Amino acid sequence: MSAVIEFKDFSFRYKTQNEFTLHDINLTINKGEKVLILGPSGSGKTTLGSCINGLIPFSFDGEIKGSCNVCGLETKDASIFKISEHVGTVQQDTDAQFVGLSVGEDIAFSLENDMVPRPEMLERVESSATIVGMEKFLKSVPYNISGGQKQKTALAGILHNDVEILLFDEPLASLDPAMGMSAVDLIDRIHRDHHKTILIIEHRLEDVLYRHVDRVILMNEGKILLDTTPDLLLSSNMLKENGIREPLYISALKNAGVEFTAEDKLASIEDLDIDRYKDKILEHFHTVKESETKQKNKKLIEVRNAFFYYDDYPALKDISFDLYEGERIAVVGKNGAGKSTLAKLLCGIIRPAKGQILIEGEDYLKYSIKELGEIVGHVMQNPNQMLVKDIIREEIELALKLNGFSQEVTNQRVEETLRMAGLYPMRNWPVSVLSYGQKKRVTIASILALQPKVIILDEPTAGQDYFHYTEIMNFICELNEKHNITILFVTHDMHLAIEYTDRAIVFTDGEMIGDDKVYRILSDDDIIGRASLKKTSLVTIAEKVGIDPEEYIHYFIECEKKERANG
Amino acid sequence: MDNKLFITLTPGNTFIDRLTGKTKVRIFFLLIFILTFTWDIRIMLPILILSIVSLLSIKPDKKKNVAIIIFVLLMNLFNLFLTWVIKPNYGLEMVGGSTVLFRFTDFFIVTAETLWYFLVRLTKFMASFLLSLAFIQSITPSELAAGLHSVKIPYKICTIVSLAFRYIPDITRDFNNIRISMQTRGLELDSRKSSLFTRLKQYILILVPLIITSFDRVGNIANGMDLRGFGKNRDKTYYCEHEDTQGDKVLAPVVLLLCGILLTLIVLKILYKPLYEVWCPWI
Amino acid sequence: MKKSLAKKLLGTWNTRTIVGVAIGAALFGVLMNYGGIKVTTNTSLTSAYVIPAIVGALFGPLPAALSAGLGNCVADLIGGWGFWFDWSFGNFVTGYFAGLVGAFGADVENGVFTTKHAIIHAVLCIVGCAIGFGLVTPILTYLWYSSELTITWVQAQAAIISDASVLIVVGIPVLYALARRNARGTNLSKED
Repeated sequence: MSAVIEFKDFSFRYKTQNEFTLHDINLTINKGEKVLILGPSGSGKTTLGSCINGLIPFSFDGEIKGSCNVCGLETKDASIFKISEHVGTVQQDTDAQFVGLSVGEDIAFSLENDMVPRPEMLERVESSATIVGMEKFLKSVPYNISGGQKQKTALAGILHNDVEILLFDEPLASLDPAMGMSAVDLIDRIHRDHHKTILIIEHRLEDVLYRHVDRVILMNEGKILLDTTPDLLLSSNMLKENGIREPLYISALKNAGVEFTAEDKLASIEDLDIDRYKDKILEHFHTVKESETKQKNKKLIEVRNAFFYYDDYPALKDISFDLYEGERIAVVGKNGAGKSTLAKLLCGIIRPAKGQILIEGEDYLKYSIKELGEIVGHVMQNPNQMLVKDIIREEIELALKLNGFSQEVTNQRVEETLRMAGLYPMRNWPVSVLSYGQKKRVTIASILALQPKVIILDEPTAGQDYFHYTEIMNFICELNEKHNITILFVTHDMHLAIEYTDRAIVFTDGEMIGDDKVYRILSDDDIIGRASLKKTSLVTIAEKVGIDPEEYIHYFIECEKKERANG
Repeated sequence: MDNKLFITLTPGNTFIDRLTGKTKVRIFFLLIFILTFTWDIRIMLPILILSIVSLLSIKPDKKKNVAIIIFVLLMNLFNLFLTWVIKPNYGLEMVGGSTVLFRFTDFFIVTAETLWYFLVRLTKFMASFLLSLAFIQSITPSELAAGLHSVKIPYKICTIVSLAFRYIPDITRDFNNIRISMQTRGLELDSRKSSLFTRLKQYILILVPLIITSFDRVGNIANGMDLRGFGKNRDKTYYCEHEDTQGDKVLAPVVLLLCGILLTLIVLKILYKPLYEVWCPWI
Repeated sequence: MKKSLAKKLLGTWNTRTIVGVAIGAALFGVLMNYGGIKVTTNTSLTSAYVIPAIVGALFGPLPAALSAGLGNCVADLIGGWGFWFDWSFGNFVTGYFAGLVGAFGADVENGVFTTKHAIIHAVLCIVGCAIGFGLVTPILTYLWYSSELTITWVQAQAAIISDASVLIVVGIPVLYALARRNARGTNLSKED
C-alpha cells in the first residue's frame, strides 16, 4: 500500500491567532482507504482538511511546522491548483459552493477554468453527472434543487478531473435524514466503484457509519487522540468525553447494562449480534416504568383547516392542530414541505387564505404582526441574521424600545430577561466575542424580552456538535420547564425530536400527515418514507429482539429523560 | 422566487432565445451605440420597430411588461412636458425652425419643430428602452457573461456579473426574512406611522445583519472557486456558450453591417458637423 | 503592516475580492429594487448607496466603484427599466470615493473606525456624489441624449442630496456597527 497523504510532526497556526490550531500531527493515509476524521467543533478537523486540499497556506496564511505531503507534493510549496489536480473537495456549505447558474454549469466550473473546449466539456459533465445521478437535472437552477442535489452537483464537479482523493467536509450538515443516508451511500459507491481515497470530516458518527469505514481518526483540541477502527472506537469510552454523540443503539445497549469488548462488531447495527444481549435488553425494558405524562393544559393556539397559497401554488393544505400551553412540539418534514410557511403563518406575517387560527379562543386576525410578536416569538436559524446591536443588553432592549415600552418597564424587563437567559453577568459584553451557542442564547433572549407565550425555533441546533447542541437544548428546556413557555421546534433533526419534544407534527408537500407522540411517528414506516425521515437504529434493535418498536422507542426516551434528570 | 425579476435564469425557446450570448450581446450593444450616436429618425425608427418585433417574438410576460412600458412612457412624456415648460421654443435650437402652431402667451408657444424634436427624442428613448427590455428578457446571466467575454471584457469582470446574479435570489430571500424578523420584534416600516428620518434609521436594523451575513459567505465561495481552479489560466471557456445556431450564422453579416453603420456614423459626426443635430423632413 | 499607495487606491485583487464585489453588486441590485424608502410618490431614498461604502471598507475603493457601477447595471437588468449607462458611470465614480476611507487608515475588518474616519468618509461621500452625479452623469447624459441641461441638473442635484445623505446617515452607523462587530474583545469580565 502506498501513502497518499503523510503528515510528519505537522503544526499549524493561523496568522490571526496566537495559539496553534494543529499540534504535532503524524498521520498516514494510504491509497484507496476510506477514513472518517471525527471531532467536535473547534477540534481542528476542518483545519486538517484545509491543509490537505491546499487552502492552507493558499487562502489562510499562517505558520507551518513540519511536513504535509499529499500525492508527492509538499503542500507548503505547491500551488493550490496543482494540489486540486489530486484532491477534490466537497465543502460543507454546498449553497456557497454552488457558483454556477445551473447544475451543468456548476459541474463544468473547473473544466471552464482549465479551458477545456466546450464539446469535450459537455461529454465530461454528462458522464460525471451520471455517476452521481444528476444527469436529468443539468438545466435546473440552484433555487429549485434540494441540498442533497446541490451536494451531488458539487461531487460531480470534482469527479471529472479524475482526482485521487475525495475530501468531504461535514457532508451531512445541511441534509435531512433520508438525504444524509443517500449521501453516505453515494460516497460509499464511489469509493468502491472508482477506487478513490475518501476522507470524511464529520461529527455525526452514527450517520457516517451507515456504510463501512476503514478507519476513524478522533481529534480534539488540535491533536489526534485515536487512530483506529470504528469497532474499537465504539467500544472505547472516548466519544462522550470528546463531545461526540454515540450511536443511539450503543446508548440503548449501554442503558441496558451491556458491556462491550473489542471483538464486538459495533460499527454496524446490521452486523452486530443483538441476540447475545437479548436477555439484558428485555430485562431492562421491563424495569423502566413510564413517567407520568404531562396532563394537557389549556389550548393556546388552535389551527382550523388553514390553507395558504403562494400565487397559485398551495403551500399549506387543510392544516388543523392544537397547541397546548407549556408543550414542546416538533414540526418535521423535508425542505419545502410547508414547515416555514406554517411558522410565518403563526407569526401573522402571512395569513391563512382559508380557515382560521384562534389564540386563546380569539380569532388571531384581530392582532397586527406587532401585537402577535408579543404572543408568538420567532427565532431564526442563523443568529447573525438577527443580531443588530453590538452589546448584549442593547440587543435585548431593542424589541422593547421598538414596541414603545417606557424606560422603567424596559429596564425591568431587560433585567428579568437577562437573568432568565443566564446572560446577566455578561450583559455589557460585545456580541462579537460570543460563541455560536451564546449568540443563539442572545437571540432567544431578544425574543423573550417581549414575554411571548410561544417561541418558534427554526433549526436551533443546525450544524452544531453534541456539546453545543446539548447546551442550546438544555437552555430551551429550562425556559419551557421553569417559565412554562410553549416551544415549537421546526427541525429535521430526529434526535432532537426524540429527546426533547412531547409531540411531532409531520409535513409533506404542504399536507399534515402526522400529529402524534414522537415514538409513534418514528415507528410508522409510511410517515418515515413520505416525510424523508430515517428509521432509527432503535427500531432495528426492537425488531431483532421482538419488542414493539413503538414501545421500545418510548422506553428509550424515558431512559434518556431519567438520565438527564440525574445529570 | 425569480418571477419578480425581468432577467430569467432558464433560457426560452424562441428564435432570439436560441442565439448565442455572443450574438445577443454584440447586436444589442451595436444598436444601443447607434441609437446613442444618431438623432436621425430614419435610422431610429427601424430600430424601434425591430425592438418591438423582438420583444413580441420572445413572448414575454404581458402583465409585467405592459406595466413597466406604460410607466416609462409616462415618465418620458412628463420629462418632455418639463422641457417644454422651460424652453417652449427648443425646436429652434435643435431642428432649426420655429413654425408656430399655437400660442398661449408670447413665451409659451407650440411649434411644429419642437413637436418634431419631441417625437424624435421619444423615439430615441423608447427604442433604447424597448431594446433593453427585449435584451434583458432573452438572455440568461451566464450568456451575458459569456457574451461580454466574447467582446474582450476580462473574464474576471464577467464572473462578477454572473456571480452577482447567482446570489441575488439568496440575498433577496435573506432581506425578506430579516425584515420580517425585525417586524415581529416591533419594527414599524409603515410610512404613515413613522417619520422619514426614523425609517431611514430603522433601515440600519435590517442592513446590519443583511450585510454581515451576505459578506460572511464570501470566504466560503472564494475557497470553493479557488479549489476548482478559478484564476488558474489567463482565460476560460464557457459551458453555456453553445455552438452557432442557424440564426447566429444568418446574423453574422448583420453584425458586420451594424459595425459599418456605427463607424460611418462616428466618422460623419467627426468630419461633418451639421448646423442642427436633428434631421427634419421640412427643413 | 503598511500597504503601498497603489494597493490603497486600487484594492487587493484576488478571488475573495471578486466574490466580494459580486456580492456587493448583488446587494446593490436587491436594495435598489426592494430597499427604497419612499419620500414622495416620485422620489425615493435607496439604501443601496451604503454598499459601496462597505465594499470599499472591506476590499478597497476600486472594488467599491465596480460594485456600485455593476450593481447599477444589475439593478437595471432585474428591474427591467432599460439601461442607464450614464448613471452607472456616475455610480462608479461615486462608489470609488465612498470606498476610499480605507486609504485614510480605517480598517473595518479589524475593528478600526473612529470619528476622524467618519468625518473623512462624510467629506469623501459629498465630494464623490458631487463629481459622480453632478459632473460625470450630466455630461454623459448630455452627450448621449442631448437632454435639456436644466432638467438634468435638477435630477443630478436631487441625486447628490439623497445619495450623499444615505451614504452619511445610514452608511456611517453601518460602518461603525461592522467595525465594532469585528473588533476583538479584550479584558472582559463577568459582572454581578
